Amino acid sequence: MDEKGAHSLEIIGFACSYCTFKASEMAGSLRMKYPDEVKLIQVPCSSRVDPAFVVKSIFEGADAVFVAGCHPGDCHFIKGNYFTRRKIAALKEMFDTFSMKDKLRLFWVSAAEARRFVEKVTNFCDEIKEAKNAGKRA
Amino acid sequence: MQAKELKDGALERALNLFLGSEGNLVLGFEKGDDGVRHRIFKGGLDRFSLFNPFFDVNGALYLRRLFSKNARIMLMLRPCEIRAYTELAKLSQIEREGITAVSVDCFGAVSSRDGIADLPTDAEGLRTYFAEPERMRAPCRACRERRGVVGDGGIRIDRNGVLRAFAYTEKGETFLSLLEGEAEESLPEMLLSEGPRPEPFQTDMEAFAKDFSPCVMCKNCRDQCPVCYCVDCLFNGDEYLPKGDALLNKILRTGSAAMPQGKEMFHLIRMFHVSQTCVGCGSCEEACPHQIPLTKYFKGVSERLQAKFSYMSGRDFEETIPYLTFLEDELKDAED
Repeated sequence: MDEKGAHSLEIIGFACSYCTFKASEMAGSLRMKYPDEVKLIQVPCSSRVDPAFVVKSIFEGADAVFVAGCHPGDCHFIKGNYFTRRKIAALKEMFDTFSMKDKLRLFWVSAAEARRFVEKVTNFCDEIKEAKNAGKRA
Repeated sequence: MQAKELKDGALERALNLFLGSEGNLVLGFEKGDDGVRHRIFKGGLDRFSLFNPFFDVNGALYLRRLFSKNARIMLMLRPCEIRAYTELAKLSQIEREGITAVSVDCFGAVSSRDGIADLPTDAEGLRTYFAEPERMRAPCRACRERRGVVGDGGIRIDRNGVLRAFAYTEKGETFLSLLEGEAEESLPEMLLSEGPRPEPFQTDMEAFAKDFSPCVMCKNCRDQCPVCYCVDCLFNGDEYLPKGDALLNKILRTGSAAMPQGKEMFHLIRMFHVSQTCVGCGSCEEACPHQIPLTKYFKGVSERLQAKFSYMSGRDFEETIPYLTFLEDELKDAED
């Protein structure tokens, strides 16, 4: 992990194929740049993300994980993201118990919000980079 | 709430009356020569014990995947066991129809592997013995609900040491009707009260890794957990815990790895999966060959996660498990 050079950071993002993934595609077609460290995984709905996926990503070497879906109420499957909200809120509480709350984020990004997607992801990536560098210096 | 005072031997007579009918069963405790263990009684009671000062297995485990609609089973178990049964019934892992669950006040228990042979099995004796909490096993010390207030009915002890049977549901009233005496409405003060809510559990990955370093991945904790019920567990395949060729491939792809692989991941994922249903009975700890303090983590995390949704596992049949429902207007701060 450490000897990989420039791409020593890895962020896994689970993106709903109806909203966030579409937003990321639009960001691409609008020539907006978001950090190379972010690896998106397309899921049919954000509620498809079993918290086990998140924990597995962390243990397989990801520095941080985010789950992103449609805004509450806008789910293609009517109510999927309400379940996501409960599950990820609980998972955050668990991560907080183990003092690693900063490794998980939940975003709501609709298909039209390419700019919001880029902003959110870039900010998250910067935060993780900073935390990692601070850890190295300490 | 209806209640009946239990006179000497009244409960045994009532259960024997119940067992007199063809096909009726009682799941309770039997006082053997070397301790008290679970037993399914048929036909009549023999060396029945209402209390059990030893903890080995959570009795709800024996009820999992019991779907027969015409079974007539009476449970005489500890509150933690009835709570696990309640959770399993909510998850459609048990058919509730023929089962009457009666929870019995609990004073705590010692671990069955402590090697203590002689312990009292009567209420007064247990109360004096467990007056010193250090004698209890750790999960029992941290238990918040030792009262027999869950399930269809309960057997509780009042301040004068008199046993009383309570009915909480219709099935509980049927149980009550088997007992002698007149039902009363009055509620005397009970001996046991609800335990205090502990400080929110807080730890970090270093302490967690240190505590779990002796883990050998036998997965006994999963197999003995009453609420870890998936037939097709994530960890049975190669995706999460690669074995053989898959393991070799992973090592060649990533780098050297400590063995056994993925123990922290296994426990964290399991911790989340049982977070809303964990009753904190500590049968995982009982099953662990290396005596890892599992309950400290599993119960600590589940208390925090259940508190987030004001939920308590097994408290009520009508409460939905938080992950299976939602409110439209909640958790405004969930998004970052």
